[in-house]
Amino acid sequence: MITVNGDPLDWYDGITVQNILSAKKYKFPMLIVTINEMHVPKENYADTTVPDEAEVKVIHLLSGG
Amino acid sequence: MSNPYAGLTDYLAFHRVETNYQQRTENRLDISKLRSAHNLLKESTFTPKLPEKGYCHRGLYININTLEVKEQPVTQEMKDIFIGGRGFGLWQLWHAVTPSTKWNDPENEIVISPGPLSGITQYPGSGKSIVVSISPQTDIPIDSNVGGYFGPLLKFSGYDFLEIQGKSEKEIIIFIDGQKGIIKIEECPLEPLDSHILAEVLTEMYAEGEGDRTNISVVSAGSAADNSLIGMLNFSWFDKRRGCIRLKQAGRGGIGTVFRDKRIKAIVIRGPEVKGDHNHPVDFETIAKTGIKLHKELRALDPSQCVMRRNGTAHIVEIMDAYDLLPVHNFQYGSHPETHKIASYIWDLRCTQRTSDGCWYGCSMSCAKGADGLTLRTGPYKGDVVTVDGPEYENAAGLGSNAGIFDAEAVLELNFYCDTYGICTITWGTICAFVMECYQRGILNKERTGGLELTWGNWTADLELMHQMARGEGFGKIVGLGVHKMKHIFAERGWGDPKLLDDIGMENKGLEYSQYLSKESLAQQGGYAMTNKGPQHDEAWLIFMDMVNKQLPTFEDKAEALYYFPLWRTWFGLNGWCKLPWNDVSPKDNHLRHEPHKIPEHVENYLAMHGAMLGTHITVEDMLNQSARVYNFQRIFNIRMGKGLRIHDRAPYRSMGPVSKEEYTSREDRYDQQIRDEMGQDPAKMSLEERMALHRTWRTDRYEKLTDAVYKRRGWTSNGVPTIDRIKELGIDFPEVLDVVKPLLS
Amino acid sequence: MKSLKIDNNKCDYGRKCNHECELTCASKVFKCDDPARAALHINSDQTIICDQCGDCVVVCPADALSRNKQGIVLLDKKICVGCYTCVGFCEKNAFERNPEWVVPYKCIACGICVKACPNSALEIVEVPTPSPRII
Repeated sequence: MITVNGDPLDWYDGITVQNILSAKKYKFPMLIVTINEMHVPKENYADTTVPDEAEVKVIHLLSGG
Repeated sequence: MSNPYAGLTDYLAFHRVETNYQQRTENRLDISKLRSAHNLLKESTFTPKLPEKGYCHRGLYININTLEVKEQPVTQEMKDIFIGGRGFGLWQLWHAVTPSTKWNDPENEIVISPGPLSGITQYPGSGKSIVVSISPQTDIPIDSNVGGYFGPLLKFSGYDFLEIQGKSEKEIIIFIDGQKGIIKIEECPLEPLDSHILAEVLTEMYAEGEGDRTNISVVSAGSAADNSLIGMLNFSWFDKRRGCIRLKQAGRGGIGTVFRDKRIKAIVIRGPEVKGDHNHPVDFETIAKTGIKLHKELRALDPSQCVMRRNGTAHIVEIMDAYDLLPVHNFQYGSHPETHKIASYIWDLRCTQRTSDGCWYGCSMSCAKGADGLTLRTGPYKGDVVTVDGPEYENAAGLGSNAGIFDAEAVLELNFYCDTYGICTITWGTICAFVMECYQRGILNKERTGGLELTWGNWTADLELMHQMARGEGFGKIVGLGVHKMKHIFAERGWGDPKLLDDIGMENKGLEYSQYLSKESLAQQGGYAMTNKGPQHDEAWLIFMDMVNKQLPTFEDKAEALYYFPLWRTWFGLNGWCKLPWNDVSPKDNHLRHEPHKIPEHVENYLAMHGAMLGTHITVEDMLNQSARVYNFQRIFNIRMGKGLRIHDRAPYRSMGPVSKEEYTSREDRYDQQIRDEMGQDPAKMSLEERMALHRTWRTDRYEKLTDAVYKRRGWTSNGVPTIDRIKELGIDFPEVLDVVKPLLS
Repeated sequence: MKSLKIDNNKCDYGRKCNHECELTCASKVFKCDDPARAALHINSDQTIICDQCGDCVVVCPADALSRNKQGIVLLDKKICVGCYTCVGFCEKNAFERNPEWVVPYKCIACGICVKACPNSALEIVEVPTPSPRII
């Protein structure tokens, strides 16, 4: 189990940042992703795996409004 | 999975071929005949001048009843306290009206004011003006920000604001020639009202040769502004490449209705040729470097961020759908299976890409996308081929999904007619969504609408309703009064349960909501209803911070956001800036900064440019105080006009939670989960009605607690009145200001 | 169209030539002695030369840039509003500004630098005009 913005999400071996964004339907292009407070650059979303019990934050910047 | 784009193939194939973006139906009017019918009522002269450090130090006052034309002073005190833009507009309006002034009284004014930074060409989004008036919808001051060339050209002619008072008996055009120093008020009996023709005709009429057309900007409304309370003002700019005029809108609050009630057909400005240093800043170099930095940022990052240069704000249509935030069927739902039909890739194809689309020079964000080659299918211009600016997110959502319309060409046609008729697209979207839900629930039927079948997605009925309104006929005339008045009319006629009408009528203070679903973001509920002018997202857009990022867990956190963001965003309107270049692109290293959601580097850009223009360097704290002066002044202005108290900050329940059983059951898991997690009860043991009632109690109670926290943070009493201490601290303790609040503070 | 081209094998990047190309451009075209004000910059770590790609023509909001008959991109200073979109959007950093002027400037492929180069490293070449890009 990991948390994403404080909400629990089932963990599985090999889950990537991109998998998490897809599962949460986080489609917004201006995101700041951290795993246990470590920043993950956008170009690494597909390759970065997330360890079990990680605290993931996906900060959406403001837009449109 | 089936192809979601099936059925759209022909549409895409048609528009993938770049339409000829100069092809449109020519207007068939004889301009010399129109001009020869003009009758000069007044001519006066002035000395044109350019601003110094952003200010011309004078405003232009015109009374269209007495035909008085005079210059108004811009004092140091005005500059210090009100800065410009919305601040100047509110200050002039305050002195023009009394607590009993109604929108259609002659003393009501329309004040158009660019700010000290408005008109710089180096930094994207610097061409804005703010229009202020007493609103026919809310009966309190409305402020509406607008692009187009008028504001900067007014400033470069020598005026920090234009203040129009009085009512004319005849149809008039006001012409301000900033090249020759002449002001004319002309009777103009023959010109048509609708903006796409009127602005084109007047640009031709007042330009001295083809090269002069970019120096002309026209402010106009349209025929629906004559017959409704939701009239809007168009501000034109001449698009050299397309060879036609384009329109930007001061949409909210019915200022177009005030304009037409004064029998003004148009205000035309002819400014000097624009140069890059007309504002005469103290430090041009800083502005130039800051502007180039943002141009580079947009060039490098926009393609992988918001793609504003291709899609404009409509890039978020499918994003809002993915987060369950896109208003569908009058804000009942937040997503729809057909959203892809009005999604950004459609607009990417439908808008002409190979051109420059900023609504003021130097806006390299260029979100004013032009859709060319639109053949109209209904109304007085049926068969004409037109260019429409289109659509912004608000229009795609308001005219589209909120009315269940998922037809791109229909959305464009609705957008076109809103613009040319002079009505606000956001307001029309929410109005139509409301009447369509009334139709769905049997509150309205074919008999009551005069034969219109206002079912979800029926765009021909939607357009016919708008055409009726433009003609001042039938059910369209009622609809043009807006949601607030319709609720009362329906209730009086015994149509529907008044409580239900209150719940589903998405208005507050008399103004319709803009197009985001706020049910799952308490902060945004406050961001909508605890606003000065009524519910729009111009003050605060907090949904991601609150609902998705969970950055605002406590009432105090939300209140802090509802302190900072409304003040930060007010500041754009004091200076003459557009807010989109602040937050629709972000620097590459933004994630390394403290509070990245505020885009700190961009905040620094604005503070640096403000300092470079005026020569006075300010901090974030100073900036917030500048805004707070105007913000609190506007709150007190509202109180003076009979609103501005806690009761007026109440929100319709549709903005806060599920009104109907269908809404609840469509997101049953979410709502049941909230009963377990937030309310500590077991939904399995409760009926649907009990669960809905529990939600209502919980949600309305939270909203009251938020109101308490926000008022406290803003320095207001629990009734929403700014305290004497706060007023003094801000330095707006003018006797007439204190007189308004004193009776409420004892 | 005509555009300026550099032969990297011939250029000595200012080691012996004293940046004759820049100095001549600055003095003869822009009437100043500062090579920083030239329309080309050649150093061992960076070469800034306008290839007349025309991106700036597309992004100019005032329609002040256009190709002449030879395909060279020229700025009409009377129409220019000094917004510097061209400066910010030029991927080669070849659209420049002189802090003393409001209007920016660029290489007009006049060939003065070609004549000035002691190493014959510069030439004006004829290349196909690219079609406008969507930027």
